[in-house]
Amino acid sequence: METVHQTPAGKSLAGKPVHTRGIDYKRRGEIFSWVHRGVILLGSLTILFIVLAPVAWLVSSSMQTEAEIVSVPPHWIPDQPTLKNFRAIFSAGDEDVTYETRSTQDPSSGNYIPSTARNLLPAMRNSFVVATLVVILNLLVGVPAAYAMAKIRFLGRTGSVYFILTTRVIPDIALVVPFFLVIKNLGLLDNIMSLVITYLAITVPFTVFILIQYFEGLPDELDKAARVDGCSRFQTLTKVYLPLALPSLVAVILFAFLTSWNEFLLALMFTQTAQSQTLPIVLASFTSDFTISFSFINAAGLLAIVPPVIVAIIFERYIVSGLTAGAVKG
Amino acid sequence: MARILFENASKRYPNGFVALENLNLEIKDKEFVVLLGPSGCGKSTTLNMIAGLEEVSEGNLFFDDETVNFTPPHHRDVAMVFQSYALYPHKTVYENIAFGLMMRKHPKDDIDRRVRDAAQRLEITHLLDRRPSQLSGGQRQRVALGRAMVRKPAVFLMDEPLSNLDAALRISMRAEIKELHRSMQTTFVYVTHDQAEALTLADRIVVMRNGLVQQIGTPDEIYEHPANTFVASFLGSPPINYLDGELVVQGDKVTFVRGETRLDFAPERGKKLVGQSGRKVKLGIRAEDVDERAEPSSGEVIAGTVTSVLPVGSDQFLGLKVEGEELFFRINKDLRHNYGDKIKLSANTGRLHVFDADTEASLIG
Amino acid sequence: MVKTTGGMAASLRRHFNYEERTAYLFIAPVMAVLGLVAVFPIAYSFYLSFFQIKLTRPNRTPFVWFDNYLELFSDELFWTAVFRTVTFTVISVTAITVLALLAALLLNEKFRGRRLVSTVLLIPWAIPYVADALMWKWIYDSGYGALNGLLYQLDFIDKYMVWLGDQNKTLPLIANAFVWKEVPLATILLLVSLKSIPQDLYQAARVDGAPLWQRFIHVTLPSMRTGFMLVIIYETMIAIRHFDLFFILTEGGPGTASHVLSWEIYVETFRNLSFGSGAAMSYLLALVTFALAFFIIRTLGRSV
Repeated sequence: METVHQTPAGKSLAGKPVHTRGIDYKRRGEIFSWVHRGVILLGSLTILFIVLAPVAWLVSSSMQTEAEIVSVPPHWIPDQPTLKNFRAIFSAGDEDVTYETRSTQDPSSGNYIPSTARNLLPAMRNSFVVATLVVILNLLVGVPAAYAMAKIRFLGRTGSVYFILTTRVIPDIALVVPFFLVIKNLGLLDNIMSLVITYLAITVPFTVFILIQYFEGLPDELDKAARVDGCSRFQTLTKVYLPLALPSLVAVILFAFLTSWNEFLLALMFTQTAQSQTLPIVLASFTSDFTISFSFINAAGLLAIVPPVIVAIIFERYIVSGLTAGAVKG
Repeated sequence: MARILFENASKRYPNGFVALENLNLEIKDKEFVVLLGPSGCGKSTTLNMIAGLEEVSEGNLFFDDETVNFTPPHHRDVAMVFQSYALYPHKTVYENIAFGLMMRKHPKDDIDRRVRDAAQRLEITHLLDRRPSQLSGGQRQRVALGRAMVRKPAVFLMDEPLSNLDAALRISMRAEIKELHRSMQTTFVYVTHDQAEALTLADRIVVMRNGLVQQIGTPDEIYEHPANTFVASFLGSPPINYLDGELVVQGDKVTFVRGETRLDFAPERGKKLVGQSGRKVKLGIRAEDVDERAEPSSGEVIAGTVTSVLPVGSDQFLGLKVEGEELFFRINKDLRHNYGDKIKLSANTGRLHVFDADTEASLIG
Repeated sequence: MVKTTGGMAASLRRHFNYEERTAYLFIAPVMAVLGLVAVFPIAYSFYLSFFQIKLTRPNRTPFVWFDNYLELFSDELFWTAVFRTVTFTVISVTAITVLALLAALLLNEKFRGRRLVSTVLLIPWAIPYVADALMWKWIYDSGYGALNGLLYQLDFIDKYMVWLGDQNKTLPLIANAFVWKEVPLATILLLVSLKSIPQDLYQAARVDGAPLWQRFIHVTLPSMRTGFMLVIIYETMIAIRHFDLFFILTEGGPGTASHVLSWEIYVETFRNLSFGSGAAMSYLLALVTFALAFFIIRTLGRSV
C-alpha cells in the first residue's frame, strides 16, 4: 500500500513552526480588519468629495454676488450669500433686455445678464412637456412590444430584438442631416413635436431592452394561468404582468425622462426660438453671449441640475433593481 | 500528524443565531469521519471551521497541538471539495487542478507530474484542456476531486459532494471515494444528509441536530445503539418504527406493554431495564427486525391489520396497523398478504430499542 | 392595417396563428417608430451623401458619386478630427473603466453609509451635459476659476493659468468632465457583474491557498470579463459620438485642439451648410459604430 500522504519536511500541519502561531494570525487578522475599514472609509470619502465638490462649488458660486465671485483666490464659501441671482432668473421675463437696460436689470450681478435670460423658464416648460410626452409614448409603444418579445414565441422574434438594439448604435449626429431636411421641408422646424419624435428613437430601444430583461425574469406560468382563466394576451399584459413589473417601469420612466430632459444635440438642431427651445439649449446660449454674469450662469446651471437630481435620488432604489431583475440578487 | 480537535467550540452569528453549540470532537489521523444530519444542523459550519472559512466564535480548534483558530485557509494544509464543485469557469481543467499547487509555489514540473497523475487516476486525462462548462456533472465532480487530491493535504474535506449527481453515479462514486481514502491515507471529513452514504463510508459518524452533537460512534454503534430517537430515526431505511407504551418488570423479566401487545425483552437487553417498572417509554423496532413464522411465541408477538403491501424486489414492505399505529416492516415474500388481513409477526426481542417517552434518550445505551 | 381582400386576409390568418398575430400587433408600433426615425435617416443620409448639397444654392444638387467621401479622405481636417476623436476616446474609456472598477469594488462591500455613497454617485449621471459643461467651464476659467484658485492657494502655481485655452490641456480637461459624468453608469454595470460571482469560487480559492490579491486576479477579474466588455464597448460608442461638451466648453477650439468628428460634422452641416459631405461623414461614423457593436457582440457571445 503506497503511502501517498506526505507533509512538507520540517513543518507541522499548518506549515509553520509551532510556537507563536496563535498570536501571529490573530494579530494579523485584526490589523487586516482595521486596514480594510480604513480603505473603505478613504474610498467613500474620496467618492463623496469628487462628486460633491464641483457641485458644491456650483451652489456656492450661484449664491455669490458678481463682485464677490470674481475674487482671486475665490471665496469658497460666500461671505454674503445672496439669492438675487435666482430672483433675476424668475423675473427675467418681465422686461425686455437691451444693451441699455441689461446693466441695470440685475442688481446682484451689477453687470450683465444674457439676453436670452427670459427664455429660461419657458424653456424649462418645454423640456418638461417634451420629456413627459416622450415618457408616455415610450410606455405605450414599448411595453406591449417588450411583453411580446419576452413572452410570445413568434417568427422573427430574435431578429426583432437585435433590430431594436442595433438602432441605438446609430450616433445621434447621423440622424441630424436627414432629419433636418425632412423637418424643414415639412415646416416643422421650430416645433417641439419634432423633438418628441426623435427622442423616441433614442429612448425606445433602451426602454424595450430593460423591459424585456424584466419580463423574462417573471415566471411564464402566470401567463398560462391567466390565459386559461380567460384573458386575452392584452389583458394578461395589463392585469397580470404590468403590476408586477413596477420597478422596471419606474426605471424606464426615469431613463426616458432624464434622457429627454438632458438631450442637447438634437434640440440644438431642431429648434430655433424660445418657442421650442429646451432648457439645455437656453443654458448653452448663455455661454456664447457677450460678457456674462458668472453668478447668474451658475444659478441657472444649478436650476438645471436640481430637478434631475431630485428625481434620480427619489428613484435610486428602482434603478438598480429595475435593471437587474432576472439577474442575481445583491 | 493530522489530528483535529474541537474543544468547546461554538459558532455564533451577530444576529444571535447559534449554528454550533459546544462542540467537542476529536478526529484522529487518517480517520474517515462523516458529519451527518438534516439541513441547518451545523455540519457544514463545522466543516467550514476546519477549513478556516468560518471563524470559531468560542472555544478552540486544534490541528495536532496548535491552536488554529485564526489561521487563514491558505495557511492550513486542508483541501476541500464543494457541493457545487466551485470550479474556476475561466480556467481549463488542467489549470483548475494545478491552481492550489501554483499558489503554494510548487515547481512547474512537479505540478505537471502531479496533475497528470491525478488526472490519470480519475480518468480525466482526455479532459485536461477543456473548460468546466464543457463537462458533465460527473466529470466536474472528478475535477473537483482532482483539485483537492493533487495537493496531498493533511486533511481532506468534502461538503455533500455527491448530492448533485444522479442516483447510479452516486453509488459508484461512493466506492471511489472509499478507495481514495484508503490509498491516500489521509484524514477525511465528509458532510452529508444521506444516511446511507454515512453508513457505507464512515469510520465514525457524528450525528448532529440544531447545532448540537447527538451521538458520535462507528456506523455499527450508531445503528445498533442509537442514543436517542432522533439518531434512531435518522439512520435506517425505512425509518425505525415507534410504539408508545409502558415497561412492566417482574423479577428478571422486563416486558413492554401497549394495549394487547406484550413484548418480553431478551435477557441482555432486559437486564439494563430492571427497576424501570411503570416507566413510560417509546419502543423502537426496526423494519427488518421481524420475522414471519408459523407460530410466534407469546412474548414476541406483534399483531396487526395489514394496511398496505409493497413488493420490493426480493422482499415486501408491509404496512401494519398495530394498536392503532401504522408501522412498516420488511419481510420475505414467502407469504402473500392482502389489505385487511390480520397477521402476527415475530419480533426479534434481542434488538428492541427503548427510549424514554419524554427525553427520548435511549434507556439501554 | 392594410386593407386586404377576403382571400388574402384569410390566407394571412392561416399562416400566422393567434399568438403570432398578437405579437406582430404588439410590436408594430415600435417597429414603425424605429423604422421611421432610425432606419429611414440612415438610408436617407446614405443617399444624400452622394450629392453635393449646399443650402446656399438649394437648386443645384449635382450627383457626385463618391466625391464627397474621397474629398473627406484627402482632407487633413478630417483626419485631424479622427485622431482627436480616437485620443479622446482612449483616454476617457480607460479612465472610466479603471475608476468604475474601483468604485464597484468599494460598493460591493457592506458598510454603513453605503447607501449614501451610491446615491451620491448617481448625481453626475443625472445632470444634463450642459450643466456639466457649465460647471467645469467655470471651474476651468482662466480668470476666476476654482481650479486656478485651488492650485494657487496650495502654492502649486504662482499665478493663474489658462486651462481650456491651452491646446495641450484641452482634450484631457474635456475628458475629465466626460469621465466625471460617465463613471456612475459604468460603476453600476460593473457592480452587477461583480455581484454575480458565486461566493464558493472565492472559498475554493481561499482553500487553494490564494491570498487576497491573487483571488482578485484569478477569480474576480476573469469572472467580470463580460461586464468589462459591456462597459468598454458602451462607453467607447458614447465617447466617439459625443458632442455636447465639445460644443459648450470649447467650440472645437482652441484651433483644432478639440476638433472631434462630431464637431466636424456639425460645422460642415450647419456652418458650411454643405449637407452632402455632412451626410457622408455621419454615415461613416455610423458605419464605424456599427462595426464596433458587431465586433463586441461577437466577442461577448464567444467568451461565455
